[in-house]
Amino acid sequence: MDLSFNNRDPVYLQVVRYFKEQIAIGDLTAGQEISSRRELAGLLKINPNTAQKAYKEMEEQGLITTERNFPSRITTDEKILNAVREELILEAVSSFIASVRPIKVPLDELIKMVSEKYSQPGE
Amino acid sequence: MIEVKNLTKKFGRRRVLENVSFTAEKGQITCLIGINGVGKTTTLKAIMGLTPYKSGTILIDNEPISKQVYEKITFIPDAAIMPPSMTIGEALVFMQDFYSNWNNERALELLKFFNLKEEFRIAELSKGNTAKVNLLMGLAIDVDYILMDEPFSGIDIFSREQIANVFTSHLIEDRGVIITTHEINDIEHLIDKVILLDNGSVLKEFYTEEMRSQEGKSVIDVMREVYRA
Repeated sequence: MDLSFNNRDPVYLQVVRYFKEQIAIGDLTAGQEISSRRELAGLLKINPNTAQKAYKEMEEQGLITTERNFPSRITTDEKILNAVREELILEAVSSFIASVRPIKVPLDELIKMVSEKYSQPGE
Repeated sequence: MIEVKNLTKKFGRRRVLENVSFTAEKGQITCLIGINGVGKTTTLKAIMGLTPYKSGTILIDNEPISKQVYEKITFIPDAAIMPPSMTIGEALVFMQDFYSNWNNERALELLKFFNLKEEFRIAELSKGNTAKVNLLMGLAIDVDYILMDEPFSGIDIFSREQIANVFTSHLIEDRGVIITTHEINDIEHLIDKVILLDNGSVLKEFYTEEMRSQEGKSVIDVMREVYRA
């Protein structure tokens, strides 16, 4: 797993974010079993206590469920899974808007450019 | 927990440690950082009872150091610790005879983890492999606390990575680890807690994730503030 962390945001939140991305792109699906905390620490090369904290946060957000003595799983709650996807898309759209707004491009011109670019492969 | 309280030490008239206080918890990796000068290694040696000190208290799980307490803790120095003429295999046999709490299964697992061979001779090891062998010798003893002096110092990037991988693996288990370093770059994500030392005094003690959450600062950001102040 190749994931580089930045040093200024809490690592456990970056891990949660990574899981959300995996859910949004469909690499992690409803009910799928996930690595143990210890395995995750090894895979992502992070402190095991940080991995533990990330799992606790994901449990609190309802992203994963853990039953005693069983591996954790991605939730089967479609509402939560759809919300994750929506959250990430909205976030990306907001940051896109924030970066083009200062250029003051007319909306219909912008939408035209977006739809042209979007259909080009590899973009 | 290892508690160091008001540790003070002098070499002649020179002050080496001045009221050094900090704690290191079991199940956490605590990093003693100092960009220059003395203090780090001396602190580890003081905890191990390897160097006398003028005043202060050191407690391990609420008890002062004694033979029983000593069996809970091991110290890994930054130089080769085994006789140079030995092979790694011979060193393992030696350790197994010497330590009643030696865990040979873990030793062999570590050997594999590091791609080391039993027939390698201690004298012929690279700096990186020497560091790995030292770490292996320390981790294969069943203790609650491990003190490591500069495990990342002066070795190649791949050895650094391999050693770092041990810290995130099951091999470290729930032990308390104290490491010293003067360079934090690629291990920021591995450590729980940081103690910044300078000229024998503790300038700051903090948890890395708390620092990121509350102040949005990396360990290096804090070091810049503290050491340039």
